Amino acid sequence: MASEDPCIIGSKITVRGHISGKQDLVVEGHIEGHVSLDSQLVVEESATVEADVEATTATVRGEVRGPISATRSMVLESTAKVAGKLTAPSITIEDGARFSGEIEMDVELPAGLTAGSR
Amino acid sequence: MANTVIGSSIVIDGEISGDEPLTIQGTVKGKISMAQNVVIDSGATVEADVEGQTVTVSGKLTGNVSAREKLELRPESKMVGNAKAPRIVVADGASFKGNVDMDV
Repeated sequence: MASEDPCIIGSKITVRGHISGKQDLVVEGHIEGHVSLDSQLVVEESATVEADVEATTATVRGEVRGPISATRSMVLESTAKVAGKLTAPSITIEDGARFSGEIEMDVELPAGLTAGSR
Repeated sequence: MANTVIGSSIVIDGEISGDEPLTIQGTVKGKISMAQNVVIDSGATVEADVEGQTVTVSGKLTGNVSAREKLELRPESKMVGNAKAPRIVVADGASFKGNVDMDV
């Protein structure tokens, strides 16, 4: 059914405004504004995103300008170009990725562990 | 070519434009301005002015439609707004309220 397929914003599409939802989103085109998802976001190599981005996991292969916040994890792959603040418990930046900005990994430690024991 | 699908649990508040076929299953408010075909599936809610080559409505649409080729209102569709297209098909069972301009 439709809700299992990712929602795709194609390479020749521009969306200006607010995108929200619970469905995985694949961006190949251009987005300006705000993206707020309870699901996974993939920014493909052809994509340009100028937006505040929130998702559970974010995979970036394209260009993003704006803060990205993921509740679970974030990967900037080798083709990514990102400027902004990254917030996620786990952030991976691959060799080749270009990034400028701030990184905040706000890890919630399990009970019994303290920050010093990592 | 990848077909853009706005899925059933996605809400877009703003403007969608581009040169690619677009299918909407979710909710869009604002403006849709496409160079190619626009399909508003059953289950979709659109509150927007829609511009496309052909516009096919099976869901709920509130707003003005301007199709360069054809507007088609399918049996379960509900549309409130003005329609402008050289060819307009309204199926049996479709609900429509608004003006029609076929440019005659």
